Order: sequence, then C-alpha cells, then structure tokens
Amino acid sequence: MAPPVQNTPAEQQDGEQYESGLHVILPGDLLPPTQSQDSEDVVMAPVIKLGPGLQPMSDESIVAVKAGILQSTASANRWWVQSNQKRYVPSSGESVIGIVRGKTAEHYKLDIGAAHPALLGVMAFEGATKRNRPNHEASILGDLLYCRVALANKDMDPELECFNPTTGKADGYGGLEGGHVFKVSLGLARRLLDPKTLVLRLLGQHIPFETAVGINGRVWINSASASHTILVCNAIKNSEYLSPKECESMVKSLIQKM
Amino acid sequence: MARLDTTRTSAHQLRPFSSSQNLLNRADGSAQFDFGGSSVLCSVVGPAEVKLRDEKLNKATLEVIVRPLVGLPGVKDKACERAIRETLEPIVISALHPRTLVQIVVQTMKDNGSILSTALNAAIMALLDAGIPLNSIIGSVTCIIDSKTNEILLDPTTEEIARAKSTHVFVFDNKSSIPSSTSASMDVDISNDDDGSPRPLFSESTGLFTEEEYLECVNISFKACQAVHGFIRTAVSKKIEKEHQQTQA
Repeated sequence: MAPPVQNTPAEQQDGEQYESGLHVILPGDLLPPTQSQDSEDVVMAPVIKLGPGLQPMSDESIVAVKAGILQSTASANRWWVQSNQKRYVPSSGESVIGIVRGKTAEHYKLDIGAAHPALLGVMAFEGATKRNRPNHEASILGDLLYCRVALANKDMDPELECFNPTTGKADGYGGLEGGHVFKVSLGLARRLLDPKTLVLRLLGQHIPFETAVGINGRVWINSASASHTILVCNAIKNSEYLSPKECESMVKSLIQKM
Repeated sequence: MARLDTTRTSAHQLRPFSSSQNLLNRADGSAQFDFGGSSVLCSVVGPAEVKLRDEKLNKATLEVIVRPLVGLPGVKDKACERAIRETLEPIVISALHPRTLVQIVVQTMKDNGSILSTALNAAIMALLDAGIPLNSIIGSVTCIIDSKTNEILLDPTTEEIARAKSTHVFVFDNKSSIPSSTSASMDVDISNDDDGSPRPLFSESTGLFTEEEYLECVNISFKACQAVHGFIRTAVSKKIEKEHQQTQA
C-alpha cells in the first residue's frame, strides 16, 4: 500500500504536535505519510494494519472515521484511533459481561449492550457435551455471565463462549454470583482492565473486593458488605476524569466517610 | 451598514459559537451548540437495536427527531428533520453498522434565528461524541439577503430574518474545503472536482433572489463554514486532549 498523501491543512498545522505524541484526528482527516526508512525498497511496500477508527479509501489513502488520538506501533506498523464512546460494538476475542435475556433449546440470548442480542450456545461451557450439561444450564433470565466474544461480524448477531478456546478451560469465564453491575464508558472499562489501574489499586489497599470488567462497559463488583460494594462502585465511576492526585484524595475522602 | 442585531458591526460577522459535548448521561453521545442567542441540544443513540419495520439489511437506519422550543412538533419541525436526515445520511458511514438504528434527537433550547444551522452543527458534534463512523465533519451557516439594503447578512437573528428578502442555509464538509483553500497548488493534484469552487452538501433557499446573489451567498457561507469547522475541530480536540491528559498515570 502506497504511503498516503498528506494534504489537509489541519495535518500541516498539527505536524509538530504529532511529533510530541498526541495527535488528535477527526473524521475526514487523512493519515500522515509513514516515515519508512527503506524507501528504495519499492517491492517491499510498507504493510499497514488498520485498527478501529481508520478506513482505507478507494484511492489507497487512509482516512479517519472517528474523533480521537492517532496511535501506532513502530514494529508492526499498526495504526488506530484511540477514542472513547459509550456504545459497545462487539469484536471477537473481547471479554464482556452479558445479561441473560432469553433461552432456547440451543442458545442463551444475552444482552451485551450492543445493537444486537448475542448468542451463547448451551454447549459453549467448559467440559460441556451432549450428555453432560454443566450447571450453567440453570441460568435464568437476568443472570450475569462473563463471556468471550467468539464471533463478531457486522452482518451477523455476535456469538459468545464461556471458555478459553486455547485451553478449553473456563479460565474465569462463567456466571457471576451476587454483587452489583454498573455501566461505565468503554474508555474507562479498557483502563480498568489494566491491573495497574490507580483507582482499583487504591481501593484494594482498604477494601477487599472482587471485580470483573467487561470491555462492553459493564463492571461487576462483589464484596463482603453492600456498603463496601457501593463505595467501590462510586469510586470507580468518579475516577474517570480525575488525575492521579485527585483520584487519591477522592478515594481517601470516600474511605474516611465510611 | 448597521445591522438590526446591534451586537455585530459587520454584515459577515457570525455570532460567537460555543459548545459542549457529553452533557447527557444516558445517551451514547450528546452535544450542545450555540450561535449567540440560538442554542440546540442534540443527543445520539446508536448503533442500537432497530424496529423490524425500519430495518435496512445493508446499512444503519438514521432517525432524526426534532423537538421544538414549546409545544408539539409541527410541519416545520418535520421539514427540519428531513433536512437534517438527508444531510447526515451521506456523512454517516452507515454500511459499517447494518441492521441498526442511529437515532438523533434535536431539542431547541433557545431560538434566535439560524436554528437549522445550529441544529446541524449540534448533530455533527453529537455524532462525533457518540463515536459513529463519519466520512467527514460538516459545518452549517445561514445567511439572508436584506430586503431594505440588499446586503448579504450572515448568521441572522429572528428579527433580521423577518426583514429578509431571501434566506439561505448551507452545509459544507471539511473535505470540500481542501481544494479551494489550497487552490494555488491544485494544478499538480488529482483535481477531480473541477475548478475548486465551493460545493455545498446541502442548500435550502426561500424567497426571491437572483443567480448572482445566490452564488455570492454560497461563497460567503463557504468561508463562514470554515470558521465553523475550525471551531468544531478545536472544541473536539480540546475535549480529547483534556480527557487524555487527565487519565495519564
């Protein structure tokens, strides 16, 4: 793929900003040309892998379709737009929290917050066979399940599974008993999945709690008492737009009030 | 020549813009856009589940609902809905989300003229906030030709519209602004769109006017739309940068 041509006025303005690492891109902006060193190597045209928010155009240029920060990895030449939104669009391999909304002989119908209900086969559990159906069979409407998106395609309803396909084991997927689930933005959910997240680390120093974060913006919290669960939920919801310092004082004040 | 709107000195002066995004908690995206005394709040839900009746197999259904300042929606609001829907349909890359619904609700908050333009600008900012895939960003302005002075006034107030000979609403995207702004160096470029003249995505005109007057309006509005694009870019960039910096550990 030929390196795209840089020709929007805004790109030129943002040229220096891009060097500093923070490059805000808006729909309609063309991707800046790749800085490939081996330009003599015409046969080996750089392969560009496009992630969310970027679309190839018919004239081989690459255009942004979402507003966000343009990011890339130097090694594999991957490019994507990091943006935050509230609506989940399924993508295979992602872990989500679903709510059981219906059941047929072969499928559970789960609400994962996307445009279409997701299907979870009754056999898509660890060790499930036609003879031996695991106790998740007992799932009733409204139950929470932590699942992995097995198939995501814009033209088909998403499909889920409750085991890790590489090991065949449950690996943490399955029903979530008790606790409380609440919604956050997808950007915050992605950050919470990082084990180093400040707010979870700070809360963990004071309160023992269990958590499951679905990349679909659903966060499940369980702890010994309802008051602890509420506190953790509030702290996570408050943390979205706080700097590390503000986050620390917010958690501290919540703990003190308890 | 003095305008009826005494806060402005020049005929081609726009009222100050202001905007804010992500105001509504439960919508997927929302934005408020103000043109001086006109203000519109817009919410976007989607891509969401669509009613079977409205389902399109190859693309998302775009639904626009316009709520007036007071009372129930009337014929004028329905016309406004249609204008917004038909302008946004080619902008939204609806093929990426087939069999879904993108619902845009437009609520007028303050009405002092140029309300369709304000609504279109609010809608595009709400779509950006919701993360709906878009081809480009659009900007809209309204202009009138004054019946007394025969002068073209940009971004008119209700009072000025009442004295207008004709009213024109234009929408331009940020792509069509590329050819004319860099027209000097366009000879080498793959100039598939002829002479680099402004190409409106949407144009609605009422009243009596000549061809020259109309073309003059297009040119003036085109320049004004670039100011709107610049504003939208700055507003969205600021929001994204702020979010990014605050969340850096």
